[in-house]
Amino acid sequence: MKALLRLAILLALWEGLGDFHLIAQGALPSPSAIIMQWWQDRAVYPPHIWATLQPALLGFIIGNCIAVAAAFAFALLPTFEGLMRGFNIAIFGIPPIALAPVLVITLPGDWPQIVLASVSVYFPTMVMTLLGLRDIDPRPIDVIRCYGGGEFAVLRWLRVRSCVPGLLGGLRVAAPAAILGAILAEFGSGARWGLGSFLLGSLGRGNPARIWGIGLTATLMAALAYGLCALLGRRFSASMAAVTIAGGKTISKTAKTAASRVSHLLLALSALAIPFLIWWGILKGFGVSPVIAKTPLAVWQYLFSAPDAAESRAAILQALKESLPLAGIGLVIALSVALLLAVMGMIWRALTAMLMPAALILQTMPLVALTPMIVLLFGRGITATLVVTVIVTFFPAFITIAQGLATVPKASLDLLDVYGASRSQKLLMVSLPTSLPYLCAAARLVAPASLLGVMIAEWLATGYGLGNLLNTARGELDYGMIWAVAFVAVAVSVGFYQLVKLLEDQVLRRYSAASSAA
Amino acid sequence: MDGSAAKLPTDDINISGVTRTFAVGSRQVYALRDVSLRCDAGSFTALIGPSGCGKSTLLRSIAGLELPDAGSVLIGGQTPQQKCRLGALGVAFQDSALLPWRSVRQNIALPLQVLRRNTAGARDKIDALIDLVGLKGFENARPSQLSGGMRQRVAIARTLVTDPSVLLMDEPFGALDQILRRSMNIELQRIWMENRATTLLVTHGIDEALFLADRVVVMHRDPGRIAHIVDIPFARPRSPPLFSAPEFHALEDEIAAYLYGGATS
Repeated sequence: MKALLRLAILLALWEGLGDFHLIAQGALPSPSAIIMQWWQDRAVYPPHIWATLQPALLGFIIGNCIAVAAAFAFALLPTFEGLMRGFNIAIFGIPPIALAPVLVITLPGDWPQIVLASVSVYFPTMVMTLLGLRDIDPRPIDVIRCYGGGEFAVLRWLRVRSCVPGLLGGLRVAAPAAILGAILAEFGSGARWGLGSFLLGSLGRGNPARIWGIGLTATLMAALAYGLCALLGRRFSASMAAVTIAGGKTISKTAKTAASRVSHLLLALSALAIPFLIWWGILKGFGVSPVIAKTPLAVWQYLFSAPDAAESRAAILQALKESLPLAGIGLVIALSVALLLAVMGMIWRALTAMLMPAALILQTMPLVALTPMIVLLFGRGITATLVVTVIVTFFPAFITIAQGLATVPKASLDLLDVYGASRSQKLLMVSLPTSLPYLCAAARLVAPASLLGVMIAEWLATGYGLGNLLNTARGELDYGMIWAVAFVAVAVSVGFYQLVKLLEDQVLRRYSAASSAA
Repeated sequence: MDGSAAKLPTDDINISGVTRTFAVGSRQVYALRDVSLRCDAGSFTALIGPSGCGKSTLLRSIAGLELPDAGSVLIGGQTPQQKCRLGALGVAFQDSALLPWRSVRQNIALPLQVLRRNTAGARDKIDALIDLVGLKGFENARPSQLSGGMRQRVAIARTLVTDPSVLLMDEPFGALDQILRRSMNIELQRIWMENRATTLLVTHGIDEALFLADRVVVMHRDPGRIAHIVDIPFARPRSPPLFSAPEFHALEDEIAAYLYGGATS
């Protein structure tokens, strides 16, 4: 009841603000105006929704099948995972918006949307399934081995069932990502139907109510997809948690011999080469015209040996100079705010109780749908870019950090209570150090998202930076530039990820109990 | 249970010169050095000793979960790995190691499935085992719905489902409270007397070892080795009053002396 009342007050407030054009000269339309516009557009919504939903669903299925197959392959063959490491990180780091134009010029029909949706779902499903397959209770393994069961028996009786909650958790994250991927691929695809095309077509029309209507529809679709998968997950993962907690795992440390160092280096080099091989292989395999589809070599030539290579490089460098600082600042702001709010949520429980559901819903919000609204509210400057970046990165970061703070063992807090410790002492001595791995994980997970946020804002609104360069190149059919920017965006994103990972390793080595010698 | 349980074939265990080392940092630690022990078919042996004396490693070597660096383990003349595949071993750990998504009945059936045996035909047998460990009515309960002691009973029923000739138990009641432990000791004796499998029990409790075993093997650490073997003369079935008998206390003191040093041979 209380929640309903709060919602009603909020809606009434919004209605008032909208009706009297109090914010940014009518950029925030009232709920009634949005609904009325939606009703007027009711005839065009179903085909648009269907056009987005269909490839999203197909991509969701294809991407998840590949992800689950890959997870099983990685679980059985760790060397294979080592080889595909570069590929996995690249897929994780790819800003979908950078891949979209490349797909649009290479693939026919609905395939750009389908492929981008698959790419968007691959990583979360693969990672969480692999975690479930690998991170199993070691004690039942002994039981199975006592009856002569080998690796296959462990897989069959233990791992397959253990990975289900992880898999379902992955699907939950993947569902909204598939819809976002499909919408992003509609950008510049020239497709007539689809929410992305509808949104892009409505941008210049000065009809905020319609833009909000499209954005809210897309958000609703993503939230429904998330909710559906969450429901499925709840049904299947009941009674999954182990009853007792397994004792500390022994980390086997193998001494590094010279031979293992060489094979280590070989593996790393292969891992680096494989994404390029796949890139090259797909283009050759599909026989796409070399004018449109640029191989890694062609991109290299474009950037370093073509007559106007210096010019292209200068344009990209300039764009990087504009985009990177914003991504970095946005990331830092988002992480700080997330940490601050998560910590405050520990002290005032009501805050977490209020923020958590909102964060869970808002992290599924399709970013593209959000950007035009933010631009309407904050204008086309740096502020809008930062706001978009912070919003994309804040919610997942907040959820991860809050989870970390919740894992603090109660006994440790009780111990401090015995000595009459204050809240801030408990926070500094126990809660923050314990949740440090989660803080690091949050930083690593949202680092690529910050670049995506910046690029979307630039593409749709601000008119500078990498996003804009990509959009302009697309408009001018400058294929070399499209591929080069896409490549640079992926490389920067992966570099960003690796940088944060390096920092994480350093921090965890110093502070984590797990790595200290027994 | 029917009388056939008592006729089960049992195997002896022959451990000779087993050595197992672990690398801790740059140092080599002997978890076991040149350990030899013979357990007659149908005997009950308890292994006792301080943490790190290698008693769990010894048990895991017999179960085929660890490979010794030197020496050999033979069960009824065969290697542990050969015996594993025949379902001749039943192993219980300190933790029940139940699969949380399976019911009691399904958990007990797991060894049969791993061995690719017919589980449908074993239903009566599984229900009889559930009855044997006193869990009638909980056939379809999941581990999360059971108490610690009940979960451990399920684990023991699971070790019996293949009619093993050898039972290996690694502190199976270590996580239970003293009262529950006593009652589980009494039950284990009853179950063992019905099956008479060759049994090896690793424990920290001198009273538990004395109450259950024919022989108590005292181990020392650094390097892990057998320090002394004490024969336990009490007649079976042993009953709870034994715990407070003077001769029980005398043996308890004797073993404690071997354990805490001074009287080592």
